[in-house]
Amino acid sequence: MSSPLILASEPATERPRRLLIALGAALIAATYVFLVVVQPAEIAGGMGSAASLVSLFGFLGGGALLVGGILPMLTTSSLVIMPLGIALNIAIGQIAGSLGMQIYLDAIGTVLVAVLAGPAAGAATGAISNAIWGLFNPFALPFAAGAALIGLLAGLAARYGAFRRVYLAPVAGLVVGAVGGLVAAPVAVFMFGAAGTFGTNAIIAVFRSMGDKLLVAATKQGLLSDSVDKIVVFVIVALIVYALPQRAVRQFPFARTYRVLGSRTGTASGTMSVSGAGVGAGSTGASTTPARGNDTGVP
Amino acid sequence: MPRRRIYNPLTELLAAVLLVVLVLVVNRWEFSLAVLGLVVLPAVLLSGRPRQIGLAVTLIAGPLLVSSLLLHGLFFPEGTTVLLDLGVARVTAEGLAFAALMGLRMTVFTAALLTVAMTLDLADLLATMTHRGWNRKLVFVVGSAVGLIPHVAERARHITRAQQARGLIVGRGPLSRARALLTVLTPLVIGLLVDASEHTRMLEARGFSSPGPRTSYLPDSDTARQRAARRAMVAVVGMFSAAWLLTAAA
Repeated sequence: MSSPLILASEPATERPRRLLIALGAALIAATYVFLVVVQPAEIAGGMGSAASLVSLFGFLGGGALLVGGILPMLTTSSLVIMPLGIALNIAIGQIAGSLGMQIYLDAIGTVLVAVLAGPAAGAATGAISNAIWGLFNPFALPFAAGAALIGLLAGLAARYGAFRRVYLAPVAGLVVGAVGGLVAAPVAVFMFGAAGTFGTNAIIAVFRSMGDKLLVAATKQGLLSDSVDKIVVFVIVALIVYALPQRAVRQFPFARTYRVLGSRTGTASGTMSVSGAGVGAGSTGASTTPARGNDTGVP
Repeated sequence: MPRRRIYNPLTELLAAVLLVVLVLVVNRWEFSLAVLGLVVLPAVLLSGRPRQIGLAVTLIAGPLLVSSLLLHGLFFPEGTTVLLDLGVARVTAEGLAFAALMGLRMTVFTAALLTVAMTLDLADLLATMTHRGWNRKLVFVVGSAVGLIPHVAERARHITRAQQARGLIVGRGPLSRARALLTVLTPLVIGLLVDASEHTRMLEARGFSSPGPRTSYLPDSDTARQRAARRAMVAVVGMFSAAWLLTAAA
């Protein structure tokens, strides 16, 4: 890393545009409050077109502002894994959706990026990934703000130690999933009349047959599906990052600074790659681990 | 066989998005049907790959349509005109109308965006974004993510085959599925992350984080006339939406 051809590192982390971030967050919050407080009565008969417009523009615009504010402050190492997270989200989410599962599994990449590169990168990954996915599957588009929120919360959870122990990850997943479900429900209702996969619609149908309003039924379904989904996603991501070679984890300043993986991030103990072997995935992971120990020079 | 490109990808994307906005604003099944028949269908037929687009639209919108019809057709407690009483479920006219409205909206949504996306020349779009001076980090993330998706899918297939050769059997239970997912995901993510760290170094060596404007190797396919047309489209749709919503509210 000392070649004269390499530019001085990290000067490009321009100042985050706090105004843009604040505006984006405010827009998303205002949209959500508007949808929940002002509109629910209208849902029964043909719903007002204003509601779907507000949800589209509020959440998409808020997501775009957030991304615009966050991108300038990201380092190259964060930027490089964002496409990876996006590709994982879309590839796995598409499979889960086409199998008609009751959970979505479309946030594995977002949570992975959030754990390794921090809440800002996680939020940007979530928003951009739904925007790109929208080109293949337009139903993902309006959920961009919810995905950004999940990335943000997952990053914060990682920062405060939710991934240092494997049993803490599902707890964090439960909380993040509940919040995510609350935010996603009005979007699903106002944009698509709560249409989802067969699995999620079956759950809504149960609540509807009990006489719930559509928004209430969709919110209950969101709370249920999203919590379970995020618990699964957080556990999967925790098991994956525990199996990662240290070199791969330590290239991320966020993971180093906040000791996201606890003792696994440090130079000391050799407990890593064992948890991966427990689920039968360790062999490929372990074959890359010899890097440990001979790269202490990585900054 | 992609069709000959007439308009800049940015113009086409914007047109599709504005069409979706119009459908949302007007919010009537007659209008959605008209848009579908008069605008989207000809666009699909002229796109040069109608069969693939038709298949994709069916695959994505079809299940949603069916499940939406089942959900609202059978369970719509607000409905008063009962057509068929099945005990727990009742078929109501209001529920069916709601399902039709939502179903047509979803079909327009899917068909318009998919037609543009499936004929999109990504390199052209990225070049246009660079020429228009969009944030280069955004251009990088979008470009490499879209490029990475087929790569990830291909790699996941290889790893799945390798693990199956080593005795991976996916059972029906959720636990077995989760284990199978992990045995494929872990090596996949590790490989991708190792690649990513190499990319970081390569990009740094090529001055990725240095400030300053970027140039694109591809020529700018955008024209002043198309820029004007894009602004005009946004203005017209914006004014129409405002007028429509105001008259509806009054």
